Amino acid sequence: MELIALYGLNLVYTIAVLALVVLGLAVVFGLLGVMNMAHGEFIMLGAYSALIIQQAGLPYILALPMAVLVCGTVGFLVEYAVIRHLYRRPFDTLLATWGLAILIRKAVEGAFGRDYKSIEQRLPGTVSVLGVDYPAYRLALLVVIVALFAGLLIWYRRSNTGARIKAMVQNPALASAVGIDTAFLSRATFIFGVSVAGLAGVLLAPLVRVEPYMGLDYLLSSFFILVVGGLGSLEGLLVGSTVIGGTDVVVSAISDKTAGYLSILIISILFLWLRPNGLYAKR
Amino acid sequence: MTGNVILSLDKMQGGYGDVTVIHGFSAILSVGEAGFVTGRNGVGKTTLIRLIAGSLTPSGGVVRLRDREVTTDPAHRRRALGMSYAPQEHPVFDQLTVAENLTLHHRDRSLNRYDELLTLFPRIGERLGQQAGTLSGGEKKILSFCRAAAEETDLVLLDEPTEGVQPENIALMAKVITAGKAAGRSYLIVEQNLSLIEMAADKAYLLDHGDCVYEAANGHGLREALSKRMQI
Repeated sequence: MELIALYGLNLVYTIAVLALVVLGLAVVFGLLGVMNMAHGEFIMLGAYSALIIQQAGLPYILALPMAVLVCGTVGFLVEYAVIRHLYRRPFDTLLATWGLAILIRKAVEGAFGRDYKSIEQRLPGTVSVLGVDYPAYRLALLVVIVALFAGLLIWYRRSNTGARIKAMVQNPALASAVGIDTAFLSRATFIFGVSVAGLAGVLLAPLVRVEPYMGLDYLLSSFFILVVGGLGSLEGLLVGSTVIGGTDVVVSAISDKTAGYLSILIISILFLWLRPNGLYAKR
Repeated sequence: MTGNVILSLDKMQGGYGDVTVIHGFSAILSVGEAGFVTGRNGVGKTTLIRLIAGSLTPSGGVVRLRDREVTTDPAHRRRALGMSYAPQEHPVFDQLTVAENLTLHHRDRSLNRYDELLTLFPRIGERLGQQAGTLSGGEKKILSFCRAAAEETDLVLLDEPTEGVQPENIALMAKVITAGKAAGRSYLIVEQNLSLIEMAADKAYLLDHGDCVYEAANGHGLREALSKRMQI
């Protein structure tokens, strides 16, 4: 019984973390069509923002605005200099952001070194849930992620900005004709997406090894999730995270980590082959 | 420029890539006037209105809205300066609801400004919660017409507003346009439906191969003159 509860918690936790990791890419790739190969690097920048705050001896909560500042600034410069010329040219965005990813990795490596950094746990200890002692930080993270997604779902569905973004994604010419500044809205959406990636980096930093190459794994799993879930909707993102995270946890529990990873790859290939628009395609 | 001119087009040129579709179109539209551009399929009518609306960048010529040159302004800035536009293709946001289509560009998101239009076109009012993509082609055109008509801009550009629309609704559209003219609004409308032209036009331009080949004020015989020239 306790074992089932533990696996259940792990499952929910894995899915939630994946959803958090993929959110920024879902915005940038799913809405704007920019195949952001530097997505993982923005998560990494978020984690290093947390490191900077820790080294400066400031309260950890300040890492969140710090990450938004760092990723938002980098995002603004990148959008202004490169991305805005490449909208609706997905392959070109892939090449450009791949170069950007290398640049960011090397810049961070130059500034902080190649070695692993660790971020101190702010909420040590465990909390007893369903008869299981579960790490407090993980539980808090779970609550934050659920609240974030609930808020985002409601906002995206109800707000005028949400409707304008959907309008721009579907029919940019008409969106511009009704008075929406699509260049500005695209830029804001891009900056929002990479900033969310940075926030994910801050939240995950205490749980993982922080190093310049940490972004690569996040990039891969993010693309797998979007392949399975489909582009352009939060629902698709959650469905994709559930399928990928669920498969990984269950197969890893039955067999081992390698089998789990292998099954994710097989599922992604099957989806690309048989259902390239994913389970929940909106466009 | 006199204060009475809302739109002036001077030797407009443009097209797609290396292909020039419009070879130098000039026209002047006064406040409270409705100008219609007509002609057979594929003569460049939609290209012309897209050049004026800012969906396409002209390769030559000048577009002025009142006294201000807007030739290279993006569409959303022209909208802010007082030019609304209902395109021919993809006239609505298919994946948004009818209500969202009508309100997303208004800060207050209020449907009140549509009270009269929704009484005229009850089919739209009945479908406010429905996805716009589920409407018929004619209903989409009416939705797009309502959206543009209620923007209260000085100039309204409409590209084939009557495509797929039933005759009784075309007559209602003419009524809305005439009322708008009386309120000081101007219209530039691409249209093949001669009935709407007869009902609402002040003048008409006949386009062929990207050039204006005939221009006339509305009055007795316009319909015959246009239909005769369009057959050739």
